[in-house]
Amino acid sequence: MGRARITLNPLSMAEPGDYLAFERDSALLTWMEQFAPFGVVTLDKSFQVQSWNHWMDLHSGRRSQEVAGKNLFTLYPDLEERRLLGPFQRALEGESSVVSTALHGYLLPLPSPFRETAPAFMLQTARIGPLFSKGVVCGIVLVIEDVTQRENQAIMLGQQHQRDELLSRVLTHLLKAERPRKAVRTLLFKIAEQLDLDTFLLYLRDPDTGHLNLEALGGIPAEADKDLRGCPFIAVLSGKSNTTLSLNSVQTQTSPEYAALRKLGVSAAVVLPLIADERNLGLLCLATCSRVAIPAEESDLLTTIAQCLAIAIDRENSNLLLFRAKEQLREHAQYLENRVQERTARLQETITELETFSYTVAHDLRAPARSMTGYCEVLLEDFPQGLTPEARKIVERISRASRRMETLTRDLLEFSKVSRQDIALSTVRLEPLIEDLVASRAPAVRQSIKVCSPLLPVRAHRGLLQHVFSNLVDNAIKFVRPGAAPKITIATEIVSRSSPNTRSTPLVFSSTEELPQEPPNNPSNEAPRQVRVWVRDEGIGISPEAHQKIFGLFERDCSAEGYEGTGIGLAIVARAMQRMGGTCGVESEPGKGSGFWIELPEALGAE
Amino acid sequence: MELTASQHDALTELINIGYARAAAALSDLTGHRITLEVPEVDVRLIAEIKEKLHRVIKGEVASVNQVFSGLIRGNAILLLDREAALLLNSLLTDRQETPELDGAAREVITEVGNIVLNACLGAFGNLLKVKVTFTVPSLQIDNVDQILRSLTVEGNGLEYALIIHTRFHMRTDNVTGYLVIILGVTSLKTLLEELRKWEERELH
Repeated sequence: MGRARITLNPLSMAEPGDYLAFERDSALLTWMEQFAPFGVVTLDKSFQVQSWNHWMDLHSGRRSQEVAGKNLFTLYPDLEERRLLGPFQRALEGESSVVSTALHGYLLPLPSPFRETAPAFMLQTARIGPLFSKGVVCGIVLVIEDVTQRENQAIMLGQQHQRDELLSRVLTHLLKAERPRKAVRTLLFKIAEQLDLDTFLLYLRDPDTGHLNLEALGGIPAEADKDLRGCPFIAVLSGKSNTTLSLNSVQTQTSPEYAALRKLGVSAAVVLPLIADERNLGLLCLATCSRVAIPAEESDLLTTIAQCLAIAIDRENSNLLLFRAKEQLREHAQYLENRVQERTARLQETITELETFSYTVAHDLRAPARSMTGYCEVLLEDFPQGLTPEARKIVERISRASRRMETLTRDLLEFSKVSRQDIALSTVRLEPLIEDLVASRAPAVRQSIKVCSPLLPVRAHRGLLQHVFSNLVDNAIKFVRPGAAPKITIATEIVSRSSPNTRSTPLVFSSTEELPQEPPNNPSNEAPRQVRVWVRDEGIGISPEAHQKIFGLFERDCSAEGYEGTGIGLAIVARAMQRMGGTCGVESEPGKGSGFWIELPEALGAE
Repeated sequence: MELTASQHDALTELINIGYARAAAALSDLTGHRITLEVPEVDVRLIAEIKEKLHRVIKGEVASVNQVFSGLIRGNAILLLDREAALLLNSLLTDRQETPELDGAAREVITEVGNIVLNACLGAFGNLLKVKVTFTVPSLQIDNVDQILRSLTVEGNGLEYALIIHTRFHMRTDNVTGYLVIILGVTSLKTLLEELRKWEERELH
C-alpha cells in the first residue's frame, strides 16, 4: 500500500527472519486497515499522514488518497488552537497520551453521526502514541473511538434521572398536600422550569357548576385566556376528549384555530385532560416557544403528572364537599338547638304564667269557697226551722261542694308551691322524718306502719320529701278495702340504673329541670348510688294501664272511685321528685296492693 | 532497601519536576490553576505496601496503570479512591458530580492519570538521560488488593514500590491520591545510580 509500517509496541515487533510473526503482524495491520471499528491514523515525525484506515475514510469524509503525505495540522488547523499539539510532540518523545471526551470533546473535527441533533462533531476518545522502529521513535499513531452514542445515552440517562426525580418530587408534594390547589401554581412553575417549557395553563372545573375556570397560568398574560379557549384544545376543554393532545410546529400551522397560540409565540404544546374516576376535572396545558415539538418522554412524564394532579384535585374537591356538608349539618343543628331553646323559653314562660294563674285562681277561690261553707253552716245552725227538709238537703250539698272546692284549691296551692318553691338539697336521714310523719297520725294508723330499719340517707329537700312521704302514706291508708286495716311497709334499697333487677321502668317524671346547685361532696368523681325508697301497702291496687297516668294532675284510677280525693296528691309527689332530681314510680296490680317508690341519690358522709 | 537521606531528597526533587510539568498540563487543559503537591516519597518492598495502602485508601479504587520499559522498567499506577475520582472528575469538567464513574468520567481519570504518570516517568527519562517508553494507560476499578495482585514486573518477589503521596489542589478543593511506581530490584538500582549521576551533573 506504500505506507509506513505501523508498529504498535516495540516488544511485539517481529524479529528479522521470524516469518510467522511477520505474517501475524501483517494480518493485524490489514484488520486495522480494513475492519477496525475505530479510526487509526499514523503520522511521520513531521506530522504528515502516513496511513488513514477505512473507518477514517468513512467518518472523516476524506479519502486516504487525499490526505496521504499532508500535514495533519494543515488538514485540521483547529488542533493547534485547541492546544492539542502537546500530545503529538510528547509522542515523539515516546509518551502515549489519552484525549478524553469530557475534557476535549473530540480530537479531529469529524461530522457527527447524528446529524439532526447536537453536538455538531462526533464525540471522540483518542489515544496518541509513539511508533518505534528498532527502539527509536519513527512516527505517531492516533486511535480514535466514536463515543457520540455513548455520550448521548449518558445525557439521555441523566435527563431520565432528572425527570424521575421531578416526578417523585411532584408526586410527594401532591400526595402530602392538604390543599394541593394552593401550591399548584408554584409546582407548575417548577415543572415548566425543569422541562425548559415557557408557558402553562391550568383550567379546573367548578365541582358545583361544571364550568371551567382558569386556575393558574404562567409565562403568558392573563388576557390570553379568552383567545385560547378557541384553540384546538377546546375539545379537551369541553371534556369530549380524554386523551393527551400534542400540538407540534404550531407556528407553521395555518388553520385559524391555532391563531391564538401562534400569536403568543407558542411553537409546541401538550394539552392534558385531568381525569379522575372517568370524570373530566379540567385540563393542563404546557407549551414551549423555542422547540418545535415536545418529545414523547416529556409528554409521557407530563401525562403522569396530570394524572396525579387530577387525583389530588379530586381528593381536594371531595374534602371540600365533605367539609361543606359538615358545615351545613352543623348549621342545621345549631338552628334546631336555637329553635329548641326559643321554644323552651316560651314554654317556660307559659308554664310560669299558668302556675301564677293557677296559684292566683286557687288562692282567690279559697276565700269564696270558705265563705260558702261558713254561710251554709250559719244557715244550718242558726235557721234550722226556716229550712224545709228539701232546702236543708240542698244547703248540705252546697256545703259539701264548697268544702270539696276548698280542699281542691288547697291541694292545687300545694302543687303550685311545690313547683315554685326554692329548694336546696342536703343529706336527709329518713328514720326521723318518717317518725315525725307517723307521730302525727292516729294511733291505729301508727301501728299499721312498719319501717324496715336501717333506712339509707338520701340527698333531698327535707320539706318536699316530707310532703312526698305524707302523700304516699296517706294514699296507702286511704285506699284499703272497706273494713280492712291498712298495712304499710317502708324500706330502702340500692339500685343500679343499668342493673336488670330494676323491676319497674323508672321513667316516670324523670327530671329534665335544671337541678339546684349541689356542693361537690363526691371527690372520687363517681356517680353516687341511687337509693330507692319503697312505700308498700296491701290495699286495693292499681290497674297497670293507670300506672303512668295517676302521677298526672287530676288523674285517678277507676278503682279509686268511692274514695275521696282530688287527684293532685301523686302529681305533687311526681313534681317534688322532679324538682329534687329524682324519679318515682309504682308497681301494682288490682287487689294485690301497691308498691310506690321514689329514687334519689345516696347521701355520702354525715352532714 | 532503605534510601539514604540524599537519595530520598534527590528522588523527591525529581518527582517534583515531573509534577510541575503535570500541573502545568492540567492547568492548561482545564483553564483552572491546578497544583500538584509531593509531600512524601517512600520506597518499600512490594509485600509491605499493601498494608501501608490499606491504611490510607479504602474500598473501591480507580487506578490508572501504565507499563514502562527501557533501562528502567516497571509499572506505574495512580490510585484514587471512589470519592476522590468523582470529585476530580467534577472539578475538571465543571460537570455536576455524578453518583457513578460513567464512561466519560473514566476517560477523564485515565487522561489525568496519563498526564501525571507521563510527566513523572518522562522526568525519569529526560533528566536521567535514560530511554523510557510507555504503553497506553488503562483504567481499572477494583479494590486495592485486586489491583496490587495484578502488578508484578519481574515475578521474583524482589520488587520495590515507590509510593508518592499526591495531592491535587484546585480551586478550593483538594483531591488526594497515591502514585505507586513498581520497580524490580535491578531497575531500582539503576534508578538510584542514575539519580546519583544526575546529582553529580547538577552539582558540577
